[in-house]
Amino acid sequence: MVKPQKTLNQQLLRYGLYVLLGVAALVYLLPLWVMLLTSLKDVEEIRNGTLLSLPGTINFDAWSKAWSGACTGSTCDGIAPFFANSFRIVIPAVLISTLVGSLNGYVLSLWKFRGSEILFGAMLVGCFIPFQVILLPMARMLAMLGLANTVTGLVLVHITYGIAFTTLFFRNFYVGLPKELISAARLDGAGFFFIFRRVVLPLSTPIIVVCVIWQFTQIWNDFLFGVVFSGAQTQPVTVALNNLVNTSFGGKEYNVDMAAALIAALPTLLVYVLAGKYFVRGLTAGAVKG
Amino acid sequence: MASLTIDNVTKSYGQTQVLKGINIAIEKGEFLILVGPSGCGKSTLMNSIAGLEDVTGGRILIGNADITQAAPKDRDIAMVFQSYALYPNMSVRENIAFGLEIRKVPKVEREQEVQRVASLLQIEPLLDRKPGQLSGGQRQRVAMGRALARRPKLYLFDEPLSNLDAKLRVEMRTEIKKLHQRLGTTIVYVTHDQIEAMTLADRIAVMRGGELLQLGTPQEIYDNPVNKFVAGFMGSPAMNFVPCTLVASDRGLGVEITDGAGNPSWLPVPNAERLGGYIGKQVILGVRPEMITDPVPHKAGEAMVCEVPMKVLVTEPTGADTMLVAEVNGVEINCRINPGYSTPVGQVVPLMFDMSKVVFFDPTTEERIDRA
Repeated sequence: MVKPQKTLNQQLLRYGLYVLLGVAALVYLLPLWVMLLTSLKDVEEIRNGTLLSLPGTINFDAWSKAWSGACTGSTCDGIAPFFANSFRIVIPAVLISTLVGSLNGYVLSLWKFRGSEILFGAMLVGCFIPFQVILLPMARMLAMLGLANTVTGLVLVHITYGIAFTTLFFRNFYVGLPKELISAARLDGAGFFFIFRRVVLPLSTPIIVVCVIWQFTQIWNDFLFGVVFSGAQTQPVTVALNNLVNTSFGGKEYNVDMAAALIAALPTLLVYVLAGKYFVRGLTAGAVKG
Repeated sequence: MASLTIDNVTKSYGQTQVLKGINIAIEKGEFLILVGPSGCGKSTLMNSIAGLEDVTGGRILIGNADITQAAPKDRDIAMVFQSYALYPNMSVRENIAFGLEIRKVPKVEREQEVQRVASLLQIEPLLDRKPGQLSGGQRQRVAMGRALARRPKLYLFDEPLSNLDAKLRVEMRTEIKKLHQRLGTTIVYVTHDQIEAMTLADRIAVMRGGELLQLGTPQEIYDNPVNKFVAGFMGSPAMNFVPCTLVASDRGLGVEITDGAGNPSWLPVPNAERLGGYIGKQVILGVRPEMITDPVPHKAGEAMVCEVPMKVLVTEPTGADTMLVAEVNGVEINCRINPGYSTPVGQVVPLMFDMSKVVFFDPTTEERIDRA
């Protein structure tokens, strides 16, 4: 068998494509590379070298300062306490919004009732409400609940905002499950929650992963809610990072800024690396079945 | 005492009535088949029996208990679904035992029941597999196993064979029949396959447009359909419908027909006393393909049998029989011919019409006009 020869034209096109993709990847990776380089240099090197010049000696002083010594506004404990704050906010908010979303999706797809489609449509509107619109009413509400400037308050805000998205994810995933599965379980004698726990939830792994990644990234990276609704002690890492960069005594310490930014970005990066494969699979899972 | 009674059940979605007053009662151990074209309401009726859909009016009874408003789990019904609906995350064993587990059957009994069902259906080697690792036929068996495990009062089968290939479908059909004979269970079975209906049922309910047209044994439905729809739905190839005029002559009541080559013939008609009102009028003659054959000597001379010359249009050999297409009064008719009989296409050959079982329909209402 002779393989059909590709014409010169086709080969050129193919290589052109590779070059284009390579350039695109480079453009996206360049800032990260510059950040990493800068965070490993000392202030002297930054001042004398170019953006892309390599550090003479690799030192992690800037990293340790960013973690535990840099000043963020009035305190100088680095971003570590705020890093912990972010986890205190993200973990409950992600877990609760995912759980509520899955229950909502379960009802809206497999236990439809009169008006459930309208309710779902109304919930979808929640995905399109700009953050800024709800700032004032939310602030009033948190104050009324006595949750202003607390971690709990921020968790509540993120849960409320996240439920629209998590509901959408789970509803669209569960719509693809055969309804007969639920009918069979009902005839077998299972009730609403029993079916959810024993039949539906075990099939939900892909969409749970998608939901967790999405919610984790959204909440971890949130700045606006963090800056508006948190107190001095309850700021998430994004707000602290902003304060760190804006607080300077004399010269600007770009290396510390970069190190702090990288530290703040690490958790989301880690989540993507660990679960990214499920993310793509889960997002397209519903699409294929239609 | 009837095992299942469906008493004037109606069901509407808004203005659309999908069940228009269904009345069916079946005895314990009976195999009832609901049959009809898509959208005839047979699946809705089945879901109503299962409690998966509410009915708008009427009552459903199992034994003497009115279960119209009962929750599905309280009806003591098991169902085999078209898509099998096996729980994908559970092994075959867990699938079969799921209903028992929910009903808090002790573990030892559960395992005994799984073993009993598995050996009944010959699926013991599959017990630890997941549904995804099974073939279509195996899934079908597991789905039946799940239904059998609880020993419910009533089994519902919703087009259980329609996802199988032709050969497997015939095998499983026989299997279900054997199972029913062995266990004596009461079964309601939905299908749109009229062969399944004929082969499996003790009684068939033919439905159309939310109405029950006829309820009877397969033979009653086949021989004595209430209208043209039922007559055409059951039987393959379908009954031939020939428009013709009833004429009274000195030989008695009969119909005149003309074949594709223009040869006129006269055919006698049974049950003439019931057709008195239609003499001289247009009627539709229904005659099954197997009643038009090559001339067979042992039938010759019977009162309702005549030989008629017919022009052969098409022949379709199936091996056991040859289906011959001829034309009568402008419509094509199927005849079932012995393959040994020479029927060259385009030639006129004598065919034997056995009129003893023919039926007549009104051309406008399509209702039977000669039914006792």
